Amino acid sequence: MTTRDASNEARPLADPVTAEVVRSYMETVCFEMATYVSRTATTPILNQSNERNATILDGIGRLAALSVGIPQFMLTSTLPVRFALEFFGDELYPGDVIVANDPYHGGGHLPDFNVFAPVFAGDELVLIASIQCHHGDTGGAVPGGYNNHAEDIWSEGIRYPAVKVIEAGRERRDVIHMMRVNNRLAGFIGDLRAQVGAAQLGVARLGELVQRYGTETIRACNDANIADTARRVREEIAGWPDGTYSADAWVDNDPAGNEDIRVHVALTIERDHLTVDFAGSDTREELQAWSTFGNTRGYVIAQLASLVDPTIPKNEGFFDAITLIIPEGTCVNPIVGKPVSAGTHHPGVEVGDAIALALSQIIPDRCTPQTYKIGAPRQMWGDHNPRTGKPFFDHGGELYAGWCGAVRGVDGWGAQNASFGNLIKATAEINETLFPHLIRGREYITDSGGPGQWRGLPGSRFVKEVLTPTRVSQYMVNRRHIHPGINGGRSGSGDRCYLKVGGPPEAVIDVRVACQGELIEPGECLVYEFGGGGGWGDPVERDPAAVLDDVWDELVSIGGAERDYGVVVTGSVEAMDLAIDAPATEARRATMRAEPRGTQ
Amino acid sequence: MSATEGYRIGVDVGGTFTDVVLAHADGTIRLEKAPTTPADQSVGVLDALALLASAEGVTVVDLLGSAAAIVHGTTTGDNTLIEMTGAPTGLICSEGFRDEMDLRRGYKEDIWDAALVAPPSIVRRRVRLAVPERIDCDGNVVVPLDEAAVRRAAQRLRAFGVSSIAIAFLHSFVRTDHEVRAAELVRDEYPDVGMISLSHEILPRAPEFERTSTTVVNAYVGPVIAKYVRRLETRLKDGGFRGDLLIVRSNGGVCPPAAIERRAVATIGSGPTGGAVAAAAAARAAGLADVVSIDMGGTSYDMSLVRDGRPEVKTEWNWRHRYLIQLPMVDVQAVGAGGGSVARLAGDRIVVGPQSAGAVPGPACYGLGGSEPTVTDADLLLGRIDPARFAAGRRALDVEAATKALTELGEPIGLDAVEAATAVVEIIDAYMADAVRRLLALAGSDPRDLSLVAFGGMGPVHATTQARALGMRQCLVPLAASGFSALGLIMADHVVDESRTYLAPAENADLAALSALADQLAADANAELTDAGIGEDRIDRTWYLNLVFPGQTFDVPIPIAIAADTPISPVALSAAVDEFHRRNAEARLIESRAEEPRIRGLRLVAVGRSDHPDLRPPPPPTPIPARSQRRISLNGEWTEAEVVDIAELTSGGVTLAGPAIVELPFSSLLLHAGDVARATANGDVLVDITGTGAGSDRLEGNR
Repeated sequence: MTTRDASNEARPLADPVTAEVVRSYMETVCFEMATYVSRTATTPILNQSNERNATILDGIGRLAALSVGIPQFMLTSTLPVRFALEFFGDELYPGDVIVANDPYHGGGHLPDFNVFAPVFAGDELVLIASIQCHHGDTGGAVPGGYNNHAEDIWSEGIRYPAVKVIEAGRERRDVIHMMRVNNRLAGFIGDLRAQVGAAQLGVARLGELVQRYGTETIRACNDANIADTARRVREEIAGWPDGTYSADAWVDNDPAGNEDIRVHVALTIERDHLTVDFAGSDTREELQAWSTFGNTRGYVIAQLASLVDPTIPKNEGFFDAITLIIPEGTCVNPIVGKPVSAGTHHPGVEVGDAIALALSQIIPDRCTPQTYKIGAPRQMWGDHNPRTGKPFFDHGGELYAGWCGAVRGVDGWGAQNASFGNLIKATAEINETLFPHLIRGREYITDSGGPGQWRGLPGSRFVKEVLTPTRVSQYMVNRRHIHPGINGGRSGSGDRCYLKVGGPPEAVIDVRVACQGELIEPGECLVYEFGGGGGWGDPVERDPAAVLDDVWDELVSIGGAERDYGVVVTGSVEAMDLAIDAPATEARRATMRAEPRGTQ
Repeated sequence: MSATEGYRIGVDVGGTFTDVVLAHADGTIRLEKAPTTPADQSVGVLDALALLASAEGVTVVDLLGSAAAIVHGTTTGDNTLIEMTGAPTGLICSEGFRDEMDLRRGYKEDIWDAALVAPPSIVRRRVRLAVPERIDCDGNVVVPLDEAAVRRAAQRLRAFGVSSIAIAFLHSFVRTDHEVRAAELVRDEYPDVGMISLSHEILPRAPEFERTSTTVVNAYVGPVIAKYVRRLETRLKDGGFRGDLLIVRSNGGVCPPAAIERRAVATIGSGPTGGAVAAAAAARAAGLADVVSIDMGGTSYDMSLVRDGRPEVKTEWNWRHRYLIQLPMVDVQAVGAGGGSVARLAGDRIVVGPQSAGAVPGPACYGLGGSEPTVTDADLLLGRIDPARFAAGRRALDVEAATKALTELGEPIGLDAVEAATAVVEIIDAYMADAVRRLLALAGSDPRDLSLVAFGGMGPVHATTQARALGMRQCLVPLAASGFSALGLIMADHVVDESRTYLAPAENADLAALSALADQLAADANAELTDAGIGEDRIDRTWYLNLVFPGQTFDVPIPIAIAADTPISPVALSAAVDEFHRRNAEARLIESRAEEPRIRGLRLVAVGRSDHPDLRPPPPPTPIPARSQRRISLNGEWTEAEVVDIAELTSGGVTLAGPAIVELPFSSLLLHAGDVARATANGDVLVDITGTGAGSDRLEGNR
C-alpha cells in the first residue's frame, strides 16, 4: 500500500537555501548515477560515447534534476515513468527496479532503455531515480534496432512498456532471462545491470537525502525549484515580442522513399506564455518514419533550452512554462504501431530545426538548430574479420564534422553542435584494431560551411576502406532539404554517401534514400560527405579579413570567397601571396546587396 | 661544511607568491615568500631565496653553495597556454587527418551553451599540413612516405614563420620510421628550425587525437619552458649552487632538467603536485589511510584523492587550458568556491560563486572597494574568522562592510544579515561537499572510507563542516597550511609514469611483443632514474596492464606481476584478466564473462624515493598565547566558543573539544560540538569527528 505524492495540493514553499542545497545534491546524484554506468558498462556506446543520462523525478513523475548528457535524451525520461506510476498504482514497492523502452508508452525509440526505481519514505513514494542508456540491439528484424524496412513497431524490436526486473529487492529471473534471449548482444544484460546498479545507487543516495530533510521538505524544495525555473523561463519569454511565428522543416524522405516530410510549427507568444503547435505537420499514413510524442516533446525543450540563459536549472519548470499541442496522427505524434526507429532522428530533429527557424524571426542571436542530419546510425558488418576469424558488427560512432551552425558572433567550430559535446567519438587507431577497415580521412570540405556573417562549420569527407567483404546499411537525409542557416545566413553543403568507391567506376553507388546490407568488396571505400553547418547573418556582412583567413586555411576557396561573400581575393595559398582586392570587393558586395537574396 | 649541509629547498611559483621552504637536516623547516615575477619567474625565485638566506643568517652564496637539491615547481608552461605566448607552431600529419586538432573527438565543454567560443588555436589550418603516408595498426606501410611532400611542407611552415614543428603520423607508435625520416627531411630543408616534436617520442600511445594534441602542445610550450629552465639553471649556478636542480612534473614527481628538455609539456598541470604530495605525507605521518585533500583559497576549491599514500593520478582525457594533454597528471578537480566567491540571488534562490571577488577588490570586509557579499564576509559575520587576526593580522577586516553587503543580499527574500551569512555558508559548504562526491564517484570511492586533509587560507575554516557532510570521521589540518605546496616539493619523489600501447584481445595476446614493450619501458625508466642519480635500492616499480571491454574509451589499469629481464608469464596475464573481471563483478555489473577484455597497453610507474628528513614542528613560542572566548554562530545558533592558539596544542598533550576555534598562523580551524582536536608528532592538527555535532551542518551522517 503506497500513498501518492500530493504535489498538487497547496503547501508551504521551501526556504530558498534548502532548495538550493537539495538541487545541488540531486544533480550530484545524477552525476554519480551516470558515472557509475560509464565506469561499468561493457558496450562502447555507453562507456565510450557517453550516451547515457540520469534524471531524478518527484513522486508524481515530474522532472526534478538531471545530469549532463544529451539534452533531448534526458528530457524524454519523464513520460515512461508516469506510465509506470499509473500502471502499477499501489503495486509499486520499495526495492523495485523497472525497465521501459516502449515508444508508445512515453519513450523515444526502442534502443533507449530507461531504468528507474522509486525512493520511499515509509510507504510514501517521494522520488524516482532514473537512468537512460542507448543499447546496441533491440531484438527486432535486424541487428542494431534500425530496420530501414520496418513497416511497424513490431518489426523493430521488443517493446517493454514497464517491466519490473527487480520487485521489492528480489530479482525477477524469469523477466531477466526473457530479456536476455530476446537480444542479440552478449553484453546486453550486463549493461542493463549497470543501469540497475546505477538506479539502486541513486535510490540509496536519495534515501539519505529524504531521511535528512524529511519528505515534506524535499517536496517543497522540488516545488520551489520547478516553480523557479518556470518563472525564469517565462521571464525570458516575456522578453520576446508577442505574435505567432511559424516555420517548416523538411525531411528529404523516410527510409522507404516517401518524400518531403513536413514538420510545421507555430509558436505563439502572449506576454510570458508560449504555445508550441505542430498542427499542419505531415499526416500521410504510409510514412515509415515517425517521432513519438515523448521524442517530439524532448526536442522542443532541448531546442528552447539552448535559447535561454544556460544557467537556468533544468527541470519540469521548462515543460510547465509552455503549452504543447501535437495533434495525434501527425508525423510528430503517431498513432500506436507506426515504426519509429528512424523517426526518432528524422523527423525528430526537424522539430528542433523548425523551432529555431520560427524563433530566428524574433530572437536570432543564439538561434541555431542544435540538431544533426545523421539519417540513422550507419551499420557495417561482415561474416569474417580476418583478425579474429569471427563475424563483426561496426555500429559507427566514428569522428566526423557535420551540421554545426554558427550563432551571432561565433563561427561554427569543432565537429558537432554544443548539444552533443558530451559524446566522445571513436578514433581510427583503436577502431582499426577492432574492425577490418582503414580510415583514409575525415577532413573538412572546402566551401561546405554555410556562408554567413558568421560561417557555419564546414562538413567533412569521411573515407573508410574495407579490408574484407562488408555489408552496409545507411539511411540518408540532408540531400535536398539542407540543415538551415539563420537570419540571412545560408545553408552549408548537403550530405552524400557513395559506396564501392575505388572499384570499377560504374559500380559506384550513390545512396539517395537508403540501402540495406549493400556489399562492399575489399579495397573499396565508403565515402560519406557530411553536410556543413548553417551560417548566421548575411555573408556580405562578414569581415573581409575573416574571409581571407578562411581562404588561407582552405576552408573557403578563392572562388567561394567571391561567390558567397563578395570578397575578391588575389594571389594563391601556394605562392603565399593572398590579398584582398579592396575596390573589387566593394564593387562586388554593392552588386550583391542590390540582388534579392534570402536564406536558401 | 656549514650547518646548512643537506639543505633541500622547495620552490613553488604560484600566481601571486613564490613560496620557498627549506628543510634542515633535523626536520625543522623555514618558509619564506616573495612576489612572483611573471615575465621571468626565475627573478622571483632568486628574490625568495635571498629572503630565505637572510632568515637563516647566511649569504645567498652560502645557502646555495651548500644546498643538496632545489626542487622547483613552475607554472611557465601553464601561463604560456593561458596567455597563448608559445612558439609559432606547425603540424605535419598523415594525409586525411589534417583537422584532428579542431575536431577534438567532438568534445565541447558546455553542452547547453550554443554560443560557446572555440579555444584559441595553436595550429591554424594553414600550418597543419598533411602528407601522403600511411602505416596500419600492425606496422605495415600502406602508403610510403612522400618525401617531396614533407620537404614542401617544411618550406611552407618556414615561410609562415613557424619555428617549432610537431610531426604526428597515424600508428607511429607501432612503427617510428616515417616520423624519424620526416624529421630528417625537415631539418634538411629548415636547418635552423627551433624545435621538432615527434609524436612517438612525446606520447608513444594510441589514439591519434590524444597523441597529436599532446605533441602539438609540447611543440608550442617546449621552447619557452626550455629557455626558462636554462635561465634558472644559469642564475642558480651563478649564485653558487652546485646541487641537483629538480623540476616538478604533473605526474606527482620530479625529474632532472634534461627530461624537461625532452618533453616540456609534462610540466603543465604540475601546480597542484606539491600540495597533493604534502597532503599524502601529512596523512601518512598522522596514520591516516586514504584521504581527500582540499585546498580552499580565495577563488577555487581544489580537491584530490590520495590512495595508498600517493596522490591519485589520472592518465587520460586530461584537459588543461582547453587543450588535451594525454600525460599522467595528479588528479586535481577544482570548482569555483573560495573565500572570495560572490553570493547573489538567481530568481528566489541564493547562489554562491563561481565568480570570485578575487584579491582586489576582494570581499566587502577587505575594505578595498568590494561591495558584493562573499564567503569570507559570511564567515566573518558568523564569528568563524577573527577580524583582528585574519592573515596573521596583516589585514584588518571591516565587519560593518560585510554586514551591509549581506543585509542587501538577504533583504529581498526576508533574511537579515546573519541569516543571509548562514545561508551563504550552508550553500557553499553543500556545493563543496557535492564537488567531492563527484570526484569520488569518478574514482569509485566512498567518502565514508576516507579522511580529509584541509589546507589553503580558507580550508581550515570549512574543514570540519566538510568532513561531517561527507560522513568522514577524521580531518587533518597541517601546521604549514600556508606554503604547503612548497613543502610538498621537498618530499616529492622521482616519478617516471609511462605507458606504451599494445592493442589486442586479451585471449590472444602476443606475450613476446608485450614483454618487449615492458623491456623498453623499463629501460627508459632506468635511464632517467640513473641519470638522476637514483640507486636501484631506492626504486619501486609498479606495472599495470591497461584493459578495457571492446570499444571502451578509457583504460582500466590492472596491476600485473612483471620481473626485470623475465618474459611476462601467461599466469601473470590471466591473473590480471581475472582481476579485471573480479573488479567488475564486485560492482555487481557483469553476470558472467560475457565479454572478454582487450589489452590497450602496459604502464610502468617507477618511483625513485627522494632523500628528505622527517618533519618536526618548530619549538613552541614562549609564552603560549592565552585562551580567549568568542561568540560564533553554528547553523543559525550563537554559541560561546573557546579560542586556542595552535601553539597550545603542539606544546603537547592537550586535546580540545568543540565548539572552539584553533588559531593557525594564516587561518582558523573551526571545531563543531563533537569535534576533538589534538596535535600530531609533526605539529599538524588532527580532528576526530564524533557524534552528530549540535549546531553542525545538517548534511552530516551519511552512514
